[in-house]
Amino acid sequence: MRSFRSSNFAWQALLAALFSFPGAATVAAAPLQLPPIVEPASVERHVGKVIFVELVTPDLGAAEKFYGGLFGWTFRDTQAGTIKYAEALLDGHTVAGMVHREVRAGEQRQPAWVTFIAVRDVDAAKTAALKNGAKVLFEPHTIPQRGREAIFADPQGATFAVLASSSGDPPDELADPGEWIWSSLITSDPDTDAAFYQAMFDYEVFDLPADPGFRHLMLATDNYARASLNSLPASRPNMHPHWLNYVRVDDAVKTSAKAVALGGRVLVEPRVDRHGGKVALVADPMGAPFGLLEWTDAQSKEVTK
Amino acid sequence: MNISRARWSAVVTAAGLFAVILAGCVVPVGGGYEDGGVAIGLGVDYYEPYGAVYGGWGPGYHVAPYRGGGERRDERGGGGREASHAFRPAPASHSIPSIPSHSRSGGGSRRH
Repeated sequence: MRSFRSSNFAWQALLAALFSFPGAATVAAAPLQLPPIVEPASVERHVGKVIFVELVTPDLGAAEKFYGGLFGWTFRDTQAGTIKYAEALLDGHTVAGMVHREVRAGEQRQPAWVTFIAVRDVDAAKTAALKNGAKVLFEPHTIPQRGREAIFADPQGATFAVLASSSGDPPDELADPGEWIWSSLITSDPDTDAAFYQAMFDYEVFDLPADPGFRHLMLATDNYARASLNSLPASRPNMHPHWLNYVRVDDAVKTSAKAVALGGRVLVEPRVDRHGGKVALVADPMGAPFGLLEWTDAQSKEVTK
Repeated sequence: MNISRARWSAVVTAAGLFAVILAGCVVPVGGGYEDGGVAIGLGVDYYEPYGAVYGGWGPGYHVAPYRGGGERRDERGGGGREASHAFRPAPASHSIPSIPSHSRSGGGSRRH
């Protein structure tokens, strides 16, 4: 009798395992489906343009609360296995991606917004990156609907990604308030980095006036400014080189205050920049830094010689 | 006893075959994310090094896009000499571009 019960239990356990296994395997195997960055798809290509940014954060819920409160973004959540991803939208347009990633015990890492620069051929970009002194952090790989991407560290150590978007690149339009409008690379050697990024993306490089001992360079393609390169601040000579991305705001002072009210921090107080509007640097509650940039339509004009 | 053993063997064999078939269907996608040792197919593991202290931007520290009224550094008292760069400077005949002025909602003019 005991033998029969034992055998029957084993049979049931085996059947349960058999029926539960397909479900588990399906979840483990499911590829993460990420939305295209341009909807409807475009045929435009703008090599060298920052076309996407993605936040890596240990608290996706807190990030959604913060950025939703600050910029009015809404979110579409998705999950594959244990990977949680949120697509951030503003007025129906994709503005960013957010990925949940735990910070493992003892790991000293800081959440960050990662800058994705447009390329036509990710594998060719990898070859160029390696040839010019970069390191590959993530090998080229394809994400269904999104495109092919890879992540590198430039010769000074700043992390950036390249993306050959399956849906084309976003058109060259002025960002609306709440959208990403600008990017800058703060680096220990702007001159060498400019040569690196020029080799990667064929940028035109403009050398702009700066305080003695500093460099301020501007990268451009398609006759549009794409990013600035700046020396590390004098008081932060040992800082890790990094890319910063800026969201267009109507009022940097008010938005900074709102960021603090939502649990963020102000890293650089709002200050008037060369273009006449204010710039500020803030961090979200998990510590990811990003910029705020005031901009009016009248400010987008060319300097004529 | 023999019947029970035969049934048990058949179940184990079926389970094994089923597992092999399923394992064959599980294809790691791309490189990138390590999720408990399983490649999920998203290349993000790039937290910045911890401890960065931001700020320290002096009064002449500018990061924003350019706008009218400025000049290029190589136009400033260089006496016509080109400075030495690791990069290839934009031709002197090229003016400094700004960001796009045309918005989705209209207004402004699109330059091409």
